[in-house]
Amino acid sequence: MDQHASTLLAFPPQDDSVDNETYHKAAVAHVQRISKMIKERSRDLVVFSAELFNVLPSRNPVVDPAVNSLSYLAILHALLFPSLAAKLPQDLILQKLVTFMMVFDGRQCRYGGPPLLEIMDAVGSGRLLPPSVAVECLASAILKLDPSGTILTSSHILLTKLAYDTDNIQPALPVIEKDIVYYPGMANHQDAPYLCDLELPPPLYISKTSGLTTSLKSSMVLEYDLVGGMMYCARREWWKARKAFERVITFPTKDGGCSKIMVEAFKKWILVSLLADGRHSNTPPPHTSESTVKIFGILARSYVSFATAFATDDVEQLKLEAHNNAQLWMEDGNVGLVEEVMASYQKWRVLSLQDIYTKISIAEIRQQTKSAETGAVLNKDEDVEALIHNMIIAGMLKGVIEKNDDGTKFLLFLSPTTHLSERELAKEIQGYAAKLREIKKIFTATSQRLGTSKEYIKWVVKESKRDKSSEAQDPTLAFDTQIDDEDLMGGAQDQ
Amino acid sequence: MASDLLSFFTAMENQGGVIVKDMPKLDLELYISNYKGRTRFDRLLLIGQCSVPLCLDALKAAVIEAKKGKDVQRYRDAWECIRFAGPDEPEAQLDDAWVNNTGRSNRTLTHQLETELKGYKNNLVKESIRIGHRDLGEHLEATGNLNASADAYVKMRPDASTISHIIDVGKHMISIMLQKGDWTGILANVNKLMPPNMTADEITAEQPYQKMVAGLAYLGSEKYAEAAKCFLETGDPVFCQRYNDVASSNDVATYGGLLALASMERAELQSKVLDNSSFRNYLELEPQIRKAVSMFVNCRYSACLEILERYRSDYLLDIYLQKHVSKIFSLIRKKCIVQYLIPFSCVTLDSMNAVFAKPDENLEAELISMMKSGVLKARINTIDKVLVMVSSEPRVVMQAKALKTVKDYEEEALERIRRMSLAAADLEIKGSNRKGAGGAGSLPGLGEILLDDITSESNLGIESTS
Repeated sequence: MDQHASTLLAFPPQDDSVDNETYHKAAVAHVQRISKMIKERSRDLVVFSAELFNVLPSRNPVVDPAVNSLSYLAILHALLFPSLAAKLPQDLILQKLVTFMMVFDGRQCRYGGPPLLEIMDAVGSGRLLPPSVAVECLASAILKLDPSGTILTSSHILLTKLAYDTDNIQPALPVIEKDIVYYPGMANHQDAPYLCDLELPPPLYISKTSGLTTSLKSSMVLEYDLVGGMMYCARREWWKARKAFERVITFPTKDGGCSKIMVEAFKKWILVSLLADGRHSNTPPPHTSESTVKIFGILARSYVSFATAFATDDVEQLKLEAHNNAQLWMEDGNVGLVEEVMASYQKWRVLSLQDIYTKISIAEIRQQTKSAETGAVLNKDEDVEALIHNMIIAGMLKGVIEKNDDGTKFLLFLSPTTHLSERELAKEIQGYAAKLREIKKIFTATSQRLGTSKEYIKWVVKESKRDKSSEAQDPTLAFDTQIDDEDLMGGAQDQ
Repeated sequence: MASDLLSFFTAMENQGGVIVKDMPKLDLELYISNYKGRTRFDRLLLIGQCSVPLCLDALKAAVIEAKKGKDVQRYRDAWECIRFAGPDEPEAQLDDAWVNNTGRSNRTLTHQLETELKGYKNNLVKESIRIGHRDLGEHLEATGNLNASADAYVKMRPDASTISHIIDVGKHMISIMLQKGDWTGILANVNKLMPPNMTADEITAEQPYQKMVAGLAYLGSEKYAEAAKCFLETGDPVFCQRYNDVASSNDVATYGGLLALASMERAELQSKVLDNSSFRNYLELEPQIRKAVSMFVNCRYSACLEILERYRSDYLLDIYLQKHVSKIFSLIRKKCIVQYLIPFSCVTLDSMNAVFAKPDENLEAELISMMKSGVLKARINTIDKVLVMVSSEPRVVMQAKALKTVKDYEEEALERIRRMSLAAADLEIKGSNRKGAGGAGSLPGLGEILLDDITSESNLGIESTS
């Protein structure tokens, strides 16, 4: 027992200021020792786990999940696999699991690849923990490993599915909101010398080799963004949902390929644009490949004509489009979105009045805008007033409802643009500058990856050779230099 | 008699024709004497079909005009009309003898010309062949067989050796296209009328025709700004009058002035229309146009619109202008409203109505449509009944633009890096059939969709969580 404890507590080094090399060597050695221990005496680990977790009063120092993360991981792994150990109460093991997921040391666990991934997969499958806890644990673990959240891993995919399927969206958001720029399995990533280097860009330590993710298929990547978009839809964050769907639509394709997921995303993208902007822009987002645009045009025709009808005052046409395609909305699973769109129709009509009026009476608004749900004007001015109040509260409309001397109520539209003071503007710009500095890291990593690729180096070498040879062979150039040397004009002036 | 006219015009209206009930300012005889050639009949027939007061006179003149020529179909067309409009008129009786005789003599002449042409071709004299084709073409054109005559004219081209020959071919071709309303064809061919190596004299002589035809073609294809430019550059009216088988100098003045009003800014109107020494000659022929333009330039918008309105029925009876009158008028009107509002920040709707609206009409609907289309940057205040101009706030615009630029940059940079990474990780979606296979037929790429495994979310509607 003591021997085990001393092995388990041997890492990390007490001194915080060790350099990457020492840390790396110690970590590798520790991992070897632990795996040997697991292989030879995994039963012992299970037996002593209670004491090591400090459940029973013991004279030994205990294994702290935040400090001795690797050792803690090993014990947990031994308890969880191949099946939940019977020696300890199940609740206790799961409680320890949650503690570990929330607090482990990300730097240390870069060395804990396969077992950690196995635990994360188990959590992500939703078998061990109740979904709400599982989602939160998994999200925390993902961000502990990669605080920038820029690389997509197999755990991300599990997380989104679990969160969306069990409707636990809130705890997954910290992960979903990050911009993904790296994917596992990118060509030309040589392994980093020291996994523990905190300056490393995430793809260098989260890879198939380090065992922290499995390789992904393109359909999984598409699914991740599609489900992400649907999560935002569920939260009614239309702008973010649209961005997510846009990532699916613009997914790079080759040889006229297209995925069904992309078509589904395009349909949802149209509906969400209506909710976010009040209209559908006829041009697909930039970067969409031409062949896919054609396919979208054919397969999502009903959606496009529905969106076209939405942006007009012709409420009958819109109702007709919605009604005629009811079957289609059902098959595509978009009934909820279409209902949202129909409900928002009148709001967007009211909003469009701000391009025409500065002040308009409530009664006139009632006459000019129709509800898409009934196809008729609202019954009472009070209903219109309530609608406008809701819009103002939701921040959709900038305006105030005022009352005239003779008692007529009217809506006063305020300028939709806000005037920033110099200081506010400077603050905004500083915020963006900071973000751009963040991007610089990604930029450097990408440029390094591309700059060291074999093809690029070959090309550079070839280019530099060509330059030299052409210079040497170009007869006119050589002639020019000669003339300069002789300075013929100078001689002429002298005479 | 009146009931005949009524039923005739009801029929015309049902066919989508324009009906002009007001008495136009023009005098029919004087008007038609301005033209020569086939256009005379077209114009007379159009007036007959559109103008209520001039209907019978014009149709009668059209019948006489048709009988002067060799085109049997035209005679029948005019006769059809007058048969309905005025069955009691002597012209309403079909002249069978004339129809048969003309038809017979046309056929004989066609045959004769074709035989002669064959003879020329055997002799291999280029000039004779060219003239043979030309004569045949002209004869066919006169009998109304436009397609065959176009073919004959095209065959003139290989044997055209001098500049004047080439121009001649071009003019013949364009005359056919004008009659067929083939505006794109004219625009494609119009430059052939001005070969590069012409002398200055030739240019002054040919420019009026070229500009006039180009202007008509632009007008026909609704490119009003280009059309106005062409008409304004027409040049000497003396040369222009020679081509009155197309349009008269009066027409050039009207077209040029109206289109310039519809498409040009105030300063441009002053410099390019009123101060244009060559175009002034045209304006003298149509003083009301000059007056309207100068009214506009002097900010007397309601007077300008009033003048134009008075001549609306005349313009509606013009063969080329008819289809575009309402569009051109509304463009001019919109421009007047916009110009009128420039010096104000706020105008009461009543004063706007006083200036622009017809009695008992409200301008609001028109203003709203202008704001929706973005022509007018203003907002209506229905509570205080005023029209408020939108003041642009350059500072806010600049700030918003700066922030947008940096945001776009950020997004674009991330997106590009993301795409590079996807490519590097070999995650792109690949088409199942590489190039060459293309079996999807008329729907490109439709057969290439990969059926991904999306069963997990295909049954997850948004409604499950929202």
